[in-house]
Amino acid sequence: MAMATLALSSLSNLISSFLPSQSPPNPLSKFQPKSLSLPKTASEYVPPMLASSDRTLPSTSLSSSLMKADEITPIVCPSLAYSNTLFYKSGYYNVEVVVGENEPEEKLMNRFRVAVFKSGVIQECRRRKFFESSQDKKKRKSRDAARRNRNRRPHPKASTQAKEEKPKRNDNSDDDNWELPEDLPY
Amino acid sequence: MAKPIPKVGSRKNRRSSARKSARRIPKGVIHVQASFHNTIVTVTDVRGRVISCFSAGTCGFKGRRRGTPFAAQTAAGNAIRAVVDQGMQRAEVLIKGPGLGRDAALRAIRRSGILLNFVRDITPMPHNGCRPPKKRRV
Repeated sequence: MAMATLALSSLSNLISSFLPSQSPPNPLSKFQPKSLSLPKTASEYVPPMLASSDRTLPSTSLSSSLMKADEITPIVCPSLAYSNTLFYKSGYYNVEVVVGENEPEEKLMNRFRVAVFKSGVIQECRRRKFFESSQDKKKRKSRDAARRNRNRRPHPKASTQAKEEKPKRNDNSDDDNWELPEDLPY
Repeated sequence: MAKPIPKVGSRKNRRSSARKSARRIPKGVIHVQASFHNTIVTVTDVRGRVISCFSAGTCGFKGRRRGTPFAAQTAAGNAIRAVVDQGMQRAEVLIKGPGLGRDAALRAIRRSGILLNFVRDITPMPHNGCRPPKKRRV
């Protein structure tokens, strides 16, 4: 039981180290993630997936308290790498936007919209609305990968060169003899 | 499904229900459930007990018009108006679901003059749970 609480506190440290602290400090000094489910046997390794998981975490939020991040113990829950939800006192949420004092309305709306888009909530909802067969899933994944690769690597301009080479290609078809021979015995 | 709230004192000490409407709640939570065909705005206190509830349907819209952002705006406006007399100043907004009513309701809440602490999105996400209905072939 003591190990579970230690794991919880270290987990919160790990989470706070990954979350960028952009918003003012949370008034909650402690948070108790009641629905956090740690495996009974916490292994002592840091999975490499967790390093890439902060891409799935939303960018504007601070759920846990601002505890010291220097003591990062390697006790980590591997299943947390796939969850893109954050914890607050009485539940969990996907996106949080802290409203500042006298913030203009449009700025708040924009910030909320951007945060929701980044976390992918609407896309996920639309995907889960109807059942997606494995074929559809493969198509969707390849489309997403293509879009992501296209955005990262601009395609080099090789199309103009290919068009020039085509008419210059050697045409050997003049040597072919397709016609019937004229002088036939019959 | 009300959360079990522990009873304090015996039945004789319980206040009559007439006093309940006069309680002042300075801080509350506004839940906005924005589905594709409707928007429901519920105002509760911090513990989750409902104070007032308005939806696009109760505001007089019917059918396809309930899913529009304007309907969400009126529902949010009505809900807050009913609660402002009870003295609510600060609120927290919890938004659930995809739908056009998300932005519109948030805008209406902002315009009504209530101070906001947070705006959170609590759309429930299954970790690959139940199988959704089959694809539509339209």
